[in-house]
Amino acid sequence: MIRTYRALFVAQLQSASQYRVQSVLWMLLEVVRPVIFLAAWVAVANAQGGRVGTYDVRDFAAYYISLTFVLQIVFSWNAYDFEFEVRQGRLSPKLLRPLHPIHYAIVENVVWKLTTFIPLLICLVIVALTFDVRFRTTPAHLLLFVPSVALGAALSFLSGWVVATTAFWTTRVHAVSTLWDRGVFIFAGMIAPLALLPGFLQTLSLALPFGYMLGVPAEILRGGVDIQTALVLMGGQAIWVVIFYVAYQRVWRAGVRQYSAVGA
Amino acid sequence: MTRYVRLLRLFFSTELQYELEYRTNLVLDIVQTIVIMVTSIGAILVLFSYTDVLNGWNLGAMLVLLGCFYLVQGFGELILAPSFEKFMEHVRLGTLDFALLKPVSAQFLVTLRQFRVTNLAQMALGGVVIAVGLGRLPSVGISEGLGFAVALLCGFVLVYALLLALSTLAFWFVRVDNLMALYWAFLDAGRFPVDIYPGWLRVTLSSAVPIGVAVTVPAQVISGRLDFFGLAALVAGTLVAFVLASRFWHIGLRSYTGASA
Repeated sequence: MIRTYRALFVAQLQSASQYRVQSVLWMLLEVVRPVIFLAAWVAVANAQGGRVGTYDVRDFAAYYISLTFVLQIVFSWNAYDFEFEVRQGRLSPKLLRPLHPIHYAIVENVVWKLTTFIPLLICLVIVALTFDVRFRTTPAHLLLFVPSVALGAALSFLSGWVVATTAFWTTRVHAVSTLWDRGVFIFAGMIAPLALLPGFLQTLSLALPFGYMLGVPAEILRGGVDIQTALVLMGGQAIWVVIFYVAYQRVWRAGVRQYSAVGA
Repeated sequence: MTRYVRLLRLFFSTELQYELEYRTNLVLDIVQTIVIMVTSIGAILVLFSYTDVLNGWNLGAMLVLLGCFYLVQGFGELILAPSFEKFMEHVRLGTLDFALLKPVSAQFLVTLRQFRVTNLAQMALGGVVIAVGLGRLPSVGISEGLGFAVALLCGFVLVYALLLALSTLAFWFVRVDNLMALYWAFLDAGRFPVDIYPGWLRVTLSSAVPIGVAVTVPAQVISGRLDFFGLAALVAGTLVAFVLASRFWHIGLRSYTGASA
């Protein structure tokens, strides 16, 4: 398996190096939205005398910078590719290979993240300087952040894959993935830190999987929650990862049986 | 002129017929648009649950702004995005010849040819959001209404000029679809008034990538927050941008050489 992964990795790295400019531009797409909501919250905080709840302007900066960083690590775009492959029948050759298609997706994701890492850091430094960021992170937070962001990434990847797999039945996963994306938009901590979502939205965000992908690791990275709370939240992450892992195995097996290339 | 209007109508109706062939698809697209809008409004309501005013914009004005955002974005996705994508493909494949040989303005034929009709739903819903926002504001006079129409038209033309200039680069670099992706990235910033952004971003959004202006100014006009001179400056700036972008296009066209030439 390690040898397979190494081979896949080298191949992907070579193919990615052809599209350097493209990958940087796509990364910018991801940075813009958190910065937009950061600016909006800063405006709200300024209207309210400098703070909203427990957040002041510099906390918002730390939160949204952490969120961008987490987003970059966690984000996967399988749903978009997958619909395309099912509809065009391109999935068929991949299914015949001895290796499960999910491994190609994993390697693609990792390589993309590596190639955009440095430009992302430059962007984040600019944002940090603009908004005069302040982190409350302790070494313990950093230590917890590593498994937390790994859980977030696993959750995002597995759930994205389950959503994508619905393409086996609908062929058009786009409608489903839009719904999913908007769930992420509202509940994952993009429009507001989870702690600032009003009443029932906050309850929902803790009950649904979305917040555990982005908001939770981001809060841990900026040091916004104490260690006990962080551990509880990470427990929630682990539960959702298990749920989606089981769901993924079920759905994939049923889906492949159902699949017939379009036109067949 | 009437010939061009007739042509536009023809382009539109063919695309509409094409789109109506896939009715389920059409319905799904509209449902998606509605979901996206409702969640966007939700985001704004969350912000406004902590404050009554955001940099001088109250909730009503903010909804008007969001409506304008969807009008401008919808317009871009209705005509500009599909047309310019097709144009760049023509350059890459060398099939632009066919457009150049037709007895109408090539710029017209290339840049306003394709429609993605479902985006009319986005524009219509944008209009609804504006109406809801206006309901929360003091009543709008005729001059504000007229000014709004002018400002919105300027917004459309500004976005057109920007995309025209960007896609003209295809004559030299062939693959520039990534630059278009950059446009979509910055467009997202239009959902908030341009004055909330920090210096460097605000300057970018109101000059190089005039999306902030295209969305913010119409909203300012109709909520009675912009004077005559601001509007006049917008009209002048729009005309300059349009002329410059068109000239740039013609310069680019000169270096177009078909696929096998």
